[in-house]
Amino acid sequence: MSTQIRLRNCAKTFADGTRALAPFDLTIEGGETIVLLGPSGCGKTTILRMIAGLEFSDAGGVISFDGDDVTRQSIEKRRVGMVFQSYALFPNMTVAENVAYGLKVHGVPGKERDARVDAMLEMMHIDMLADRRIDQLSGGQRQRVALARAIAVQPRVLLLDEPLTALDAKLRVRLRTEINALLRKLGITAVYVTHDQEEAMALGDRIVVMQKGEIAQIGTPREIYRKPQNPFVADFVGAANRMTGQMRDGRLHIGAHVFDAVDAFDPRHGAIIDQGAVELYFRADGLSPCDLDEAHFTGRVEAVSYLGERLRLTVSGIGPQAVTIDTHADDVIETGADVHCRVNADRLTVFPAVAAHS
Amino acid sequence: MRRDWKFYSQLGLTIVLCLFIVVPVVMSALAGVTVNVFKGLSSGLTLRWVFEVWDLYAQSILLSLGIAMACLVVTLLAGVPLAYVLVRRPSRMMRLFEELLTLPVAIPGLALALALLITYGGVSGYRSSWLFILTGHVLFTLPFMVRSVAAVMAAMDMKMLEEGAASLGAGFWRRFFGVIVPNAKPGILAGALMVVTLSIGEFNLTWMLHTPLTKTLPVGLADAYASMRLEIGSAYTLIFFVLIMPLLIAMQALADRGKRASRRIDTAEDTL
Repeated sequence: MSTQIRLRNCAKTFADGTRALAPFDLTIEGGETIVLLGPSGCGKTTILRMIAGLEFSDAGGVISFDGDDVTRQSIEKRRVGMVFQSYALFPNMTVAENVAYGLKVHGVPGKERDARVDAMLEMMHIDMLADRRIDQLSGGQRQRVALARAIAVQPRVLLLDEPLTALDAKLRVRLRTEINALLRKLGITAVYVTHDQEEAMALGDRIVVMQKGEIAQIGTPREIYRKPQNPFVADFVGAANRMTGQMRDGRLHIGAHVFDAVDAFDPRHGAIIDQGAVELYFRADGLSPCDLDEAHFTGRVEAVSYLGERLRLTVSGIGPQAVTIDTHADDVIETGADVHCRVNADRLTVFPAVAAHS
Repeated sequence: MRRDWKFYSQLGLTIVLCLFIVVPVVMSALAGVTVNVFKGLSSGLTLRWVFEVWDLYAQSILLSLGIAMACLVVTLLAGVPLAYVLVRRPSRMMRLFEELLTLPVAIPGLALALALLITYGGVSGYRSSWLFILTGHVLFTLPFMVRSVAAVMAAMDMKMLEEGAASLGAGFWRRFFGVIVPNAKPGILAGALMVVTLSIGEFNLTWMLHTPLTKTLPVGLADAYASMRLEIGSAYTLIFFVLIMPLLIAMQALADRGKRASRRIDTAEDTL
């Protein structure tokens, strides 16, 4: 029932010659939720707007919904539901009138329209707000109205452009959970744009990580988190610690230490890295504090921050830049102290060093 | 709180200044309903002068109202789409055009009228009809309509509202009349009242453009003061007040309502 979306050879160059998107292919399966994730200016919103019909691909690009070519179709014809960061609700209409607008445009007769509007409002838990004016609503309520309005017309695809960014943290998590449940319940194809890694993980069946107008990686949240395919993705999804090492005959050497159990598969070249200089990316769990006799490295504590359930240390002297390490919240550690730690080799992501393969 | 001499001296000054402005208005209005101004109020009150003005100048007054309405229609039809284009597709050309549009406000009305006369004075049917005056009024009032509507449009993120409506299947005209125009209503109303008020009161342009058969209300007023008894001129002023005051009050009320509406946004609480 739900629509499959295919983008083939799409690219975007703006009038002034800046390339917003390099040519790319992307298939979004029917009923799937795809999250476009990346820093601002990476092109994620441009892809969303291309699917919507608000931007058009450079010549040669083809967009199809379930095999129908919609490349040249305007947004009015595409039957897409859109939810915007700043809501885009009509201030001249009440909540119910906003939700009814699309149905009216599509010529749904009065009685059926009213019933559909009521059902939508109920589903979004805003039925008591039906007669309110938009300027009498909070941000969270407005985004619920926007969702109800977009879904009411039974679109082929739901497009959400940073819908939670304007809300405060607590509300953001709550509405995120609800949107997740809603998308599963409706089984609708959805494209969700965000710059928030946590939001992407929570909502996406698959995540498309974008970097400077190119797709850096496509994968499930687990793949993106555990097996980032390149240093950019690793860094962006939180594995921001870096060490350097050497691969020799399939074994990893860091300084004087040798590690066996390392996943050194390089997905970009489809081969295991056997030899040569490597860069190692890891999260705070890549190193753990220990006693001196078990330690691989000793660093100096530059800063300590208390995160409640754990203590996060910023440590210098281990990687080329300072790395972060977590320890027990109850530990008493002063800035300037020495800290000994072990490498958890299975938590490292190995990339060929930049100089080695360029 | 004890009020000292400073308070009372300031209050006194304020009252004196207000009287300085209000008294002539009252005197003029009273003169219009006094039997004989030179004898004073003791000569008695009468509505005779008001009726006499109506007999003499009804046509000018009606013509003025007609021109104001026609002027409103033209500025609405031209001004609202113009404001839309100015806000929606800003470019250097458009800015230049906006400046050009505002020029008639800065140029003395007499100069503008002279330019119209030099250019079209020879077209006899046009020169002698009320349409000639309408042309002047539209040139003069259009910038006020455009500015007023554009200000509201610029504040409402039209691009996003239109994208929202378009995603729901609405074509251009549907979006324009169903979303853009209703949300620009405060600006359109304010602009409309401004245009009507300016058109009814416009003198110096109109004085140059009018013919004996196309006299408007203010031109008639000048005529009455110049050639009739003082009571008639004053009664004329009275009629002018009665016409223009409701418009001015409506304008003020609209401005207040706009302010109240924008204040309400801050009070919405985040309960969901």
